[in-house]
Amino acid sequence: MDQPVIDLRDIKRHYIMGPTTVRAVDGVTLSIVTGEFVSIIGPSGSGKSSLMNIIGCLDTPTEGSYHINGETVQGLSRGRLAEIRNREIGFVFQSFNLLPRLSALENVELPLVYAGIAARQRREQAMEMLAKVGLDGREKHLPAELSGGQRQRVAIARALASRPSVLLADEPTGALDQKTGVEIIEMFHTLNAEGSTIVLVTHDMNIARQARRVVRVLDGLVVSDGPAEDAA
Amino acid sequence: MKLFAIKESAGMALRSIRSNLGRSLLTTLGVLIGAGSLIALTALGNGASKAVEESLQSLGANLLIVYSGQPRGTALVRRNTSNIVPTLSENDLEAIRELGYVTMAAPESSLNAQAKYENRNASITIIGTDHNYPLVRNYYPVYGEFFSESDVDTRRAVVVLGSKAAADLIGPDIDPIGERVRVNGQPFTVVGVMQSKGNDTTDNQAFVPISTFLRSLSGGSKYAAINVQAADMAIMREAQSAIEAELLRLHGLPSMDAADFYIANQLDVLGAAQGTAGTFTLLLGGIAAISLIVGGIGIMNIMLVSVTERTREIGVRMALGAKPGDVLLQFLVEAVILSVSGGVLGIAAGVAAAWAFSRFGGMAVAVSADAVLLAFMFSLVTGLFFGGYPAFRASRLDPIEALRYE
Ligand SMILES: Nc1ncnc2c1ncn2[C@@H]1O[C@H](COP(=O)(O)OP(=O)(O)OP(=O)(O)O)[C@@H](O)[C@H]1O
Ligand SMILES: [Mg+2]
Repeated sequence: MDQPVIDLRDIKRHYIMGPTTVRAVDGVTLSIVTGEFVSIIGPSGSGKSSLMNIIGCLDTPTEGSYHINGETVQGLSRGRLAEIRNREIGFVFQSFNLLPRLSALENVELPLVYAGIAARQRREQAMEMLAKVGLDGREKHLPAELSGGQRQRVAIARALASRPSVLLADEPTGALDQKTGVEIIEMFHTLNAEGSTIVLVTHDMNIARQARRVVRVLDGLVVSDGPAEDAA
Repeated sequence: MKLFAIKESAGMALRSIRSNLGRSLLTTLGVLIGAGSLIALTALGNGASKAVEESLQSLGANLLIVYSGQPRGTALVRRNTSNIVPTLSENDLEAIRELGYVTMAAPESSLNAQAKYENRNASITIIGTDHNYPLVRNYYPVYGEFFSESDVDTRRAVVVLGSKAAADLIGPDIDPIGERVRVNGQPFTVVGVMQSKGNDTTDNQAFVPISTFLRSLSGGSKYAAINVQAADMAIMREAQSAIEAELLRLHGLPSMDAADFYIANQLDVLGAAQGTAGTFTLLLGGIAAISLIVGGIGIMNIMLVSVTERTREIGVRMALGAKPGDVLLQFLVEAVILSVSGGVLGIAAGVAAAWAFSRFGGMAVAVSADAVLLAFMFSLVTGLFFGGYPAFRASRLDPIEALRYE
């Protein structure tokens, strides 16, 4: 429990755009331990997504060191990074990113396919996850045959399928209406109560406040980090 | 583990192919046509080569023909002996018969003659030979019989008509055996009718004993040619050398450069004909191979488009843990499935086309197992080769850029 799941030290992500350099992340130090529920909040363009992509091993930092469960991420091969994304990280996107030609069940199975789990077992696991997000009976539906909230639940089930160390969600309610958004956030709280470590990016202060820990980001820097009550 | 990955990739590939069935079919069309034409065209080439071989074999097994005069190509087939100055004697024939490599020999001289039956006339080729001719040339009477050794010895005026000569002169209503025909004014009794060889030049011949031929039709005592059957296909070269040596000695000549005869060997003709047919097959096969490559380029093109279209899908898969190798395999397997199914459909189409050529076009075809295997391997390699680059491109995508792709 002492060792953090996520351990970022002075992480920078600079985009070189011709003559100018965009400092999307400009020296973030952040450490998250198992069981935490962390909200990241900040204005548009402050670098939240850039940071999440680095945490999710989708992108590599320009500078700084990153350890996930003690393993140094820098310098890992593309194959090893894929393994980390598969086993340690569950990513939930704002735009769901379900594969449109696969059924809900097959979408949830995907991470298990890449984990090399046999068809029968992964089917069982995927069914279990879909049930957990309240979608039993919808296994055969294509994404287009589901509502926005249901799609995001499928995406959450998929992120949970390989039982990752941490669940990352970048504005998971951004494409949903108010009521559905609230339901999704409630689901994250339930999952956290059951033991999942969650990092949630949001615009919405009301949502952020529900987290036990709120990290405020501005211009690529962490400007405050503490219990929800402190975040104004 | 690897096998598992291939199975998973095949599943994904089939799903993607099915969801885009129309385009997938069009994509495979190039390989289909390539493989199909490879099968159909080589079947034609092989068929032609087999047909040549069979028609040469039908001239007689292990046949060598000694011709009078200077060599003129390797004309074994239908070499007209009517305008040759004969240089081969009975003595030569006997000597050839004595050679160890030879099972049989028959003399041959010919001339173009007018044949007459009652009030009907026909121009035919009269061949003077002996009773060995049917065996040596693998050519037999279907009706009556060929003349005998004693007919030759006693110079009887008997004739065996070719099927066309018999039909033209006597017709179908009269039994030709025992009928009398005149050849250049000389009377002959018909004793047999030959089988049809399906070609008018051969079927328009008539055969008389060589002794009778020399005495009453041509004059002189020499033969224009001697048909020789070697004991075995394998010793035809030796037989040829032995005959050459023997005849040079008998004719008192120093070498073949000065010879007044030459030998046409079935092997040479066969070799030349097969060489031509082989070139033909190779050429057709080459054309087909080129169209397979063009088909492969079509697959590469579609796969590149597909990789671009599915960039976001690739990003999602990578985000969920697909390794570069998984992505590579997925697209490679898809290209190979497209290409191989094109190949298999093409093989079926090619076999069907070959069948249609022979059934409706009357052409000689021979679909070889080699060609089928070649077409299959070719389509497999085409898929691997032309699918390789798009798949590699897909596997090199950066996860975050692929996810951002619109
Ligand atoms: N691929 C990129 N190339 C260049 N600049 C980029 C790229 N991605 C992000 N940026 C820039 O980096 C900065 C941070 O972007 P990022 O998407 O991380 O912000 P964000 O906090 O997620 O914003 P939002 O709340 O609107 O999603 C922005 O100024 C953006 O223009
Ligand atoms: Mg963002």
